[in-house]
Formats: sequence, structure tokens, C-alpha cells
Amino acid sequence: MKNKDTVSYIIAIILSIVFIYPLYVLILVTFEPVYLTFGRIYPFQLPIILTLSNLINSFHQVGLIVPVIRSVEVAMLVSIIAVLLSIPAGYGLQKLTSRVTNKIILLMFVVNMMPGVVVAIPISVYFIKLGLENSIFGIAFAQELVVLPLSVFIMLGGFRALPKDIENQAHVDGARLHSIFSKVLIPLVKVPILITFLIAWMTSWDEFTYAVIISPINPTFPVKLYDYVSRGEPFVASSFALLVTVPVVVLVIILQKYLKGEYLSGGLNGV
Amino acid sequence: MEYKLELKEITKIYGEKKVLNNLNLNIVSGEFMVILGPSGEGKSTLLRSIVGIENIDSGKIMVNGEDVTNNPPNKRNIAMVFQNYALYPNMTVYKNIAFPLKMSKMPSEQIKEKVNKVSELLKITDVLDKNSTKLSGGQKQRVAIARALVREPKLFLLDEPLSNIDARTRYTSRQELKRLQKELNHTFVYVTHDQSEAANIADRVAVLHNGVIEQIGTYEEIYNKPETTWVGDFIGTYPMNFIDGSIYDYKDKKIGFRPSWVDESLNDFELEISLIEKIENNYFIHCNLGEKNIVIRSNKNYNIGEKIKVGLSKFNVYKDEKLESVIENKKEKASAD
Repeated sequence: MKNKDTVSYIIAIILSIVFIYPLYVLILVTFEPVYLTFGRIYPFQLPIILTLSNLINSFHQVGLIVPVIRSVEVAMLVSIIAVLLSIPAGYGLQKLTSRVTNKIILLMFVVNMMPGVVVAIPISVYFIKLGLENSIFGIAFAQELVVLPLSVFIMLGGFRALPKDIENQAHVDGARLHSIFSKVLIPLVKVPILITFLIAWMTSWDEFTYAVIISPINPTFPVKLYDYVSRGEPFVASSFALLVTVPVVVLVIILQKYLKGEYLSGGLNGV
Repeated sequence: MEYKLELKEITKIYGEKKVLNNLNLNIVSGEFMVILGPSGEGKSTLLRSIVGIENIDSGKIMVNGEDVTNNPPNKRNIAMVFQNYALYPNMTVYKNIAFPLKMSKMPSEQIKEKVNKVSELLKITDVLDKNSTKLSGGQKQRVAIARALVREPKLFLLDEPLSNIDARTRYTSRQELKRLQKELNHTFVYVTHDQSEAANIADRVAVLHNGVIEQIGTYEEIYNKPETTWVGDFIGTYPMNFIDGSIYDYKDKKIGFRPSWVDESLNDFELEISLIEKIENNYFIHCNLGEKNIVIRSNKNYNIGEKIKVGLSKFNVYKDEKLESVIENKKEKASAD
């Protein structure tokens, strides 16, 4: 028993290191003088000299602030659209027999099985015709391609996890469709809604392919960041990246108690 | 207030199977009707069709002579208690009970009054502020019944409401339900697969089999005079015994009798005892009659393997699995022969 515990701890620690290490390097690059990052000769990446100059430098990069705001706008739009569409979709799919539902879900993921570039180019042609290129709506609509299948899948799981007959009971109690939704169903699926929102938000936040093809002139944050890196200013870029990552990490930590696995697997009932 | 529900030739098809097959049933006001049948024979489907959450494939549902077949559930004024109670988990007990009233846009003063009244009736006043997920099985059932009662519906449907409660509470709940129904003079339709429940609380029992009502009547009628051999087999702790009619000169017919209808003072046929069960003060004796296994009741204890001679004090005669005649007082008939 004791041995088993020790082994689990060791595995957990190793996994944590694997996941946290990139973040650690990001922090290191941000707070170390540039010459140390290049001239690293010691085996362990321990900080020797710390500096704030990279951070202060990045603050002067006004060019990065507009893309961050744009990214926030896009992410908000994407997650609101995802929630609004996935609620009725999940509700409807839950009513079908699971054989049919699972086929539809599979079909929805087909777009995600293709490389984004292949899908993005023909879309951008249409968006130019519609005047959606270089607009936050254009990016948001394109990103829904990635976000929606997962959102619908999560909401489907949420609706399937509801107690049987709750909706019937509301019918019998005299409720009409809008009261059934507003008074009974929506309050019961608010955790899946929150998860959908969060995952949509985070997916949009670092989505690159659709953003760069649809809106190259008014770039989102990841696109602009890539500009900086390719222009040879990785240190400014990484410092700034760290700054905008902090609020996202804090948000996830606050909401993590809702991020339970059951809603991500609930959609697979009756497979 | 008179109330009459008529189900006319109701058919419900799931895939290839006719769950309800031209079913007819009349329910009159103030009665406690129990629909009894084995699991998976469409009892719940029948209730759901009455309340309107399942559409029927053909037939008519009439309330007081008016056709309500196509009315949605909220236009039928029928309350239903689901098997798992279906309490709204996001609401307190008070809000659960108030929900149907709120949906009918009743002023909140009146709602409060009604909820308090019904919760006193069901003795749940002390849990009104609790969340509905924090209740025991018995409390949940009371809340579900309160929520159904509070609207003062014309018809009250219960789908196996006692199946999720432990045995002791179930017995008292059963009596209370019966008392409640008589006190309020409501019309109840109660679905169960449990015969003792049906025997205990029903004014009338409808036996559902293969999508039709096989027999309808008081439990005693159904127990003593099952109209088909299937009903005889289904009703009773021990199924009705069916033996070849030739023993009493009913050629090509079957004789059906209950274990208690055996008269040990007669010696019409011989049985070989194979197993004995003692239940309270009686012995239920499993015997072989030729190839047939039958059960008789006796207050004498016999030995396994012993051969005894018995007759029947009364029995039913079945032709082609249907009741043909009821023979009472076989003793007199025998002496008259």
C-alpha cells in the first residue's frame, strides 16, 4: 500500500515537472538578463541574476496592447456564440437515440480532423466577399469551427446527466417551453455552460491559424506575438506573454472546482 | 364534481412492438384504480399517455366526454408523481411545491397559503426550507405528492411511487396514501407490479398484459375468478393451479383452483408431496399430480414423498384459456350425483 502511494507521488511529480517546465522557462527568460539566456553554460536552469528590464521594455511596446484587447473581444464573442448555440444543440441531440447522436457528434468533428489551413483559405475567400475579413466577427465565426463541436459535446453531456423525467415533470406541472428552460433546465446545466464558456474562451485565446489567415491586418495577440518572435524580439514577446497569461491562469484556478471530468465524458453515455 | 376519464382503443407502438394494443379503460371520480402488471408491459407508458407526455399512435382520450387526445400536458389538469419523484434539484422543497402554482400565475400570497396547507397535510412543514436533494426517500415521496396535490388536479397519477422506499416505510406510506385519497376524495390511478400493494389499496384493479386490460374488478374478484389462465397464474402469492379437466368430467378443459380451495376430506385424486413450506400457521405443500406441479394449503404437516388423497371444495373451469364457469360447493354436487 505504502509503496503504491510512493509510486503515485513520483509519477505525479514527474508529470507536474513536464507540464510546468515550459512555464518555468518562460518566467526565466522574462526575468533574466538577455545575455544569460543566450550564454547559458550551467546544466541546471537556476536563475543567477534577476532583472525587470525585459518587463519594462515590453511595457513600452504599445503595439502589443491593441492585439490583446482584440483577442479578448474575439474570445468573448466566440464563447458567447458557443454557449448560445450549444445549449439548444445539446438539448436537441440529447432527445435523439444515442446511436444517431453519436454519429452527428462524429460528423461535427470532421472539420477538426482536417488541417486548419485547408479549411481557412476557402473560408477567407468567402469572408472577403462578405466583408468579414480583418474583423473580430470574421475571426470569431471561423474559430467557432474549432470550438463548437467540443462545446456541443460538453452541453450534450450536461443535458444527459440531468435526472430523468425532470423535464416531463415540468411539463406536467404546467410549464411552457420557455419556463422549462429558464426555471428548470438552464439552472441545472450552469456548470456545463461555465465549462463550455471557459474552454471556448481559452481555445480562442491562443488560436492562430484561422486568425492569421482571416485577419492578417488587424492581428490578434498570438499572431502579433509571432510577428515579434519572427522579427527577432523574443524577449519582449515572452515577457509580454507572461503578463497576459497570469490573468488566464488565475481565472482557471478560481473556476477549477467546476472543471470536473464527468461533463467531458457524459456525452458518451450509451455508446 | 364529477369526473370521468375514458381511454378508447389506445395503441402505442415502439418500433415493432405494440406496447398498448387497442386498450380500453374507464376511470370514474373518487376511485382508487390500480393498474397492475409485470414489469415492461407498458404500465408507465399508459400513464404517460394519459398525462400527455407521450403521444399515442391511435385511439382517443376523453375527459368528461371531451376529446383531450391532442392537448399538451399543461392543458389537461392531471398531476403525476414519477417513479423517481423528479424533484427539481435546484430548488428548495417550498419552491418545488410552489412551482406548478407559479406556472399558473397565482399571486404569491395565495401560493404561500396553499403550500403551507398541503405541507401540513403531508407533515413536511419542517423541511420546507431544505434543498430537495437533501431529503430521505420517504420525504422525497411526500414532497412529490404534495407538489401534485397542491394544484388540486382532477386526476392524480402515480407511477410506482413506493418502489424506492424501504419495506417498513412502504407499508405505512401505502395506508397513508389510501387515507389521503379517501379524505380528499380525489381520483387516483396508481401503477405497480406489486400485488400486495394492489390488494391493499385498490378500489378496483386493472390487470395489464400484452398491451390490453385483461381483467378489471376488485382484487377479490380477480383473485377468485381470474378471467384468463394468465391472470390466474399472475395473481396470488402462489399462482393458480391448473390441472386437466378430465378429473371432474370436463373433457378438453382446464380446472383452476387456489391452494386454499383444496378439501382434504374428499378423495377425488391422489397427490405425491415433493416440498413443504411453512408460512405463519399454514403449510404450503408442493405436490406432483402426474407431471404437473401444484401447490395446496393445509394446516396439517405431511412428510415428503407421502401420497395423499384430496378433492376440491370449489374450482373454475377454463376453456381455451378463458373462464367458462365457476363451480362452488363441489361437495353438494358430488353427493347429488
